[in-house]
Amino acid sequence: MTARPAPGADGPQGTDAHATRGPRDLLSARGISWRPAERTVVGPLDLAVQRGEALAVVGPNGAGKTSLLRLLTGLLTPDTGTLAFDGLAFDRFGRKELARQIAYVPQLRPIRVPLAVEEVVLLGRYPHLRPLQVAPAAGDFAAVDEALRVVGIGHLRGRPVDELSGGERQAVYIAAALAQEAEVLVLDEPTTHLDPRHQRDIAALIPRLRAEVGRTVVFASHDLNFASMTASRIVALRDGRILGSGTPPELLTPETLSELFEAPFEVVRDGEHPVILLRMGPDLESTPAPTPPGTPPEDRTP
Amino acid sequence: MTPGQRRATGVRTLAVLGLAWLAVLVLAPLVGSTAVSPAAAFEPGTTASTIVWQLRLPRVLLALLAGGALAVSGMGFQTLFRNELAEPYTLGIAGGAALGAVLALHLTARSSLDPGLFGFTVVAAASFAGALGATALVVGLALRRRGVETATLLLAGIAVSFSCSALILFIQYLSDSTQTFRMVRWMMGGLAVVGFREVLWVAPWVLAGAGLLLVLRWDLNLLLTGEELAASRGVDLGRLRLLILGASSLMVGALVAVTGPIGFVGLMVPHMLRRWAGSDHLYLTPACLLGGGVFLALCDLVARTVMAPAELPVGVLTALLGGPFFLWLLLSRRSR
Repeated sequence: MTARPAPGADGPQGTDAHATRGPRDLLSARGISWRPAERTVVGPLDLAVQRGEALAVVGPNGAGKTSLLRLLTGLLTPDTGTLAFDGLAFDRFGRKELARQIAYVPQLRPIRVPLAVEEVVLLGRYPHLRPLQVAPAAGDFAAVDEALRVVGIGHLRGRPVDELSGGERQAVYIAAALAQEAEVLVLDEPTTHLDPRHQRDIAALIPRLRAEVGRTVVFASHDLNFASMTASRIVALRDGRILGSGTPPELLTPETLSELFEAPFEVVRDGEHPVILLRMGPDLESTPAPTPPGTPPEDRTP
Repeated sequence: MTPGQRRATGVRTLAVLGLAWLAVLVLAPLVGSTAVSPAAAFEPGTTASTIVWQLRLPRVLLALLAGGALAVSGMGFQTLFRNELAEPYTLGIAGGAALGAVLALHLTARSSLDPGLFGFTVVAAASFAGALGATALVVGLALRRRGVETATLLLAGIAVSFSCSALILFIQYLSDSTQTFRMVRWMMGGLAVVGFREVLWVAPWVLAGAGLLLVLRWDLNLLLTGEELAASRGVDLGRLRLLILGASSLMVGALVAVTGPIGFVGLMVPHMLRRWAGSDHLYLTPACLLGGGVFLALCDLVARTVMAPAELPVGVLTALLGGPFFLWLLLSRRSR
């Protein structure tokens, strides 16, 4: 129903877009909080996602990352505050209508799915199908083909999902979310349980989702280097509140990280994308070394 | 297997099952404690034609409908709970139906004549009411705790089942031996009917229930990939659960009221058919409707011929086959 903008038409593409907030917010949360059983899991917080950015949410276990993503996709209804897509409140959308704007890829779970890859990707078309539609339309199959091509798993299309590796299954679910043709793609821990090669594949895919098919991507990750390499902006979440927000070099500093995770980090500069090392081992102190005053973070090499 | 091949497999399975269904419908009424030739069946006024048209044909039709309904609702429950061991009676519908029937048997046996209600026996009416009551109780209990959560439904269903069993035992304890025998006989399940009244009662429920599940096939397929993913694509999970439950319960409740609880068809048949027809509910739903019917009609054929002229209750036969199947299912799942 909603026309998709041309790929990359309105995307800041790696620019530092977080400073401005305004009509270009694709997804905005104002004063949202989620308090199941009187315990605050998320918020109250404000968050704005700009069209075309890749926003990473990082934070310790139990920070509320998954709950925040589920709020942003409309799976959870906030107890306070409002959520809006492109300036329209979520409650103005029907369920399927919202699913045509925002697609979600939950964390990969080891459940048996007795379907073939193409069938799972075709299920991404659900919000576009009418209940009494006998068969999917040509446009649905075209969307499936395009999604399989973008993710690069066309060769798997006839395979049963249960026979695939974890990395391949994650790719299948991302393809299904792409076939949903929603402008926003929300991914929960896309690299968890994946081996390094598949982590690399997913890391290569995210910039292509933005550049090639014009998607706005929001993801949660425990992998700070994955976030550093793929995100245009990072939000640090702790105890359900936003601790800070910025480009990877702005946010991924030893100070912010040690405050966020209560663990010692070292940051090695690598151009736009800082490389983060977690200090581990019995011979190391559990607190980060204090930064000498006036020392720029660049100098803190191991 | 490519989706095209899967489609072909699904269509082929449906064609084979459809032919088997028709074959059973035509041939099974001719077989029994005494075989009847097709020519004799069409001779009006003979005992043979009365047996075929008034006893065997309605019985075969009822078996075809009942087996189909049990298989379709078992399929719905297995998909809804994402559990291979779910079946139509998981949520206590059989317990409720049995409680209603047992209560009616206990109360009406004294007068020895069943007055009947809208052309049905009081036992059948009470059983239908019991089935719907048990389902309503389970859904009501689950709704009390925010939304209809799958786990809450399962637990509430088990609790209701156990309560019904306990009440049934209590009523049996209060009953004399004749009443108790009738109760036990009812709970074995049976398809012996005279005329088409039961068939005409069951048919609309079964066709409406199976039709609704067929309309929901995208939702059911989506449930196979997980509830969270389904919700993110715009499925209203609470509403979907109630629709699946409602369709299955009305189908099975209407059926159990006239046949008693026939076990294991709803567990066994969907599993066998998933292997042949695949998991796409577009094919699986009609395959269950046809295949479940054929399976139960054949079981009933064995039940009424193996000890002829005496009859084995069909519920006993399906459960006898079901027990070993259950074990095989457990063992083959382990080795996979």
